[in-house]
Amino acid sequence: MTSDEAKFILSAFRPDGSDAGNPAFADALKMAGADPMLGLWFDRSRAHDSAVARKLREVAPPAGLREAIIAGARVSGARKGDGMGRVWLAGLAAAAALAIVIVSMKAPARPEPAGAAFAGFAINDMVTGKHGGAGEPAGALVAELQAEGSRMPGADRINFERLRDTGCRTLSFSGRTVIEVCFVRDGALFHLYVSRRTGADGAAEPEGPSFFSQAAGSAAAWSDRSFDYVLASTAGTEAIRRLL
Amino acid sequence: MNNEAFKQLVDAHYAPLYRFALSLARNASDAGDLVQQTFFIWATKGHGLRELSKAKSWLFTTLYREFLRGRRRDARSSSLEDLPAGERDPSAEDVDRVSRIDAATVMAALQTVDETFRAPLTLFYIEDMSYQEIADALEVPIGTVMSRLSRGKAQLRTALERAEAPGSKVLPFPGAKGAQAS
Repeated sequence: MTSDEAKFILSAFRPDGSDAGNPAFADALKMAGADPMLGLWFDRSRAHDSAVARKLREVAPPAGLREAIIAGARVSGARKGDGMGRVWLAGLAAAAALAIVIVSMKAPARPEPAGAAFAGFAINDMVTGKHGGAGEPAGALVAELQAEGSRMPGADRINFERLRDTGCRTLSFSGRTVIEVCFVRDGALFHLYVSRRTGADGAAEPEGPSFFSQAAGSAAAWSDRSFDYVLASTAGTEAIRRLL
Repeated sequence: MNNEAFKQLVDAHYAPLYRFALSLARNASDAGDLVQQTFFIWATKGHGLRELSKAKSWLFTTLYREFLRGRRRDARSSSLEDLPAGERDPSAEDVDRVSRIDAATVMAALQTVDETFRAPLTLFYIEDMSYQEIADALEVPIGTVMSRLSRGKAQLRTALERAEAPGSKVLPFPGAKGAQAS
């Protein structure tokens, strides 16, 4: 083994010494003990690694990230229960246990699973995401949404690709592109998320709005032939319902 | 997994996952999204993981896959392997330099290391992962991990040296101690 080969192997040696008993390092460690130059290199390398690791561990996650993760999982927990084909009552009990209230405006009251997941994603993003976007089409959509008495737009009023390509905020959810715009109505801030339906989702029947509420905020999810929509806000379910 | 167990899983891993995501995504917003998406996938699919002891590796692997998936989607991939090794042994000055500069600057320097080397390097530093654990998490051979650690460390030393050079501009990242409020 050459000195360079020993350095190569010892680069993977953890600075806290927890690899000391690993036979893969034995020869290189033995060589570092016998070769003063290699030994000096190894000491400095470990000291450098320790210093870098110490600094990097000081980086703290942003406030609210933990709560957003847990809130999102609660919604996904409800989705999982539905997907497993549990009976209606069991699904409702699970949802209640997870502190999620799902109320559908239309009968039969069966929440669209993808809608639940999309709503959870939207509520998380509403709380933790860095909002903002640009582009004339996005501005026009926001103006339309902010107009007194206007309702949520349908597929005929959403030029998805143009919004996406001209600076409207875009996100990713389960491999799908989502556009989002923020707007204010009646003094409250709302977030509209739109994702194009694809594959099996595109073949599924459109569904009317289902409502989701959790500590971080509320959302309504619905779909038409072209898109899945979520409208999210911290203003509450009733405020959302009035805009639909 | 019940709610309490899930909270324990989040508490145990969300901070190091965020640091890993921050080194990959290079901005706090995308890093937060990656961590949330990772736990979201766990909540919807990870229940099937029988061995909780493998949860940590599963979470890091999933986050890395999500990062790569997003990067492919954005068509922002760069040449990953065709980079100079930048081999240079660590000096005493290198060690002192790291002690002098703040965490935000070290993270910013790490973010300039090529992505191929950055991912194993971050797991090595932040999670104290062994080369075998890194190989499992990133789904690459052991020899590749060793090579990338060696070259990544050399790139990082150079980046740290540049970061401290007069006139250099290193942008602090939100959430890092020592970062200036703007």
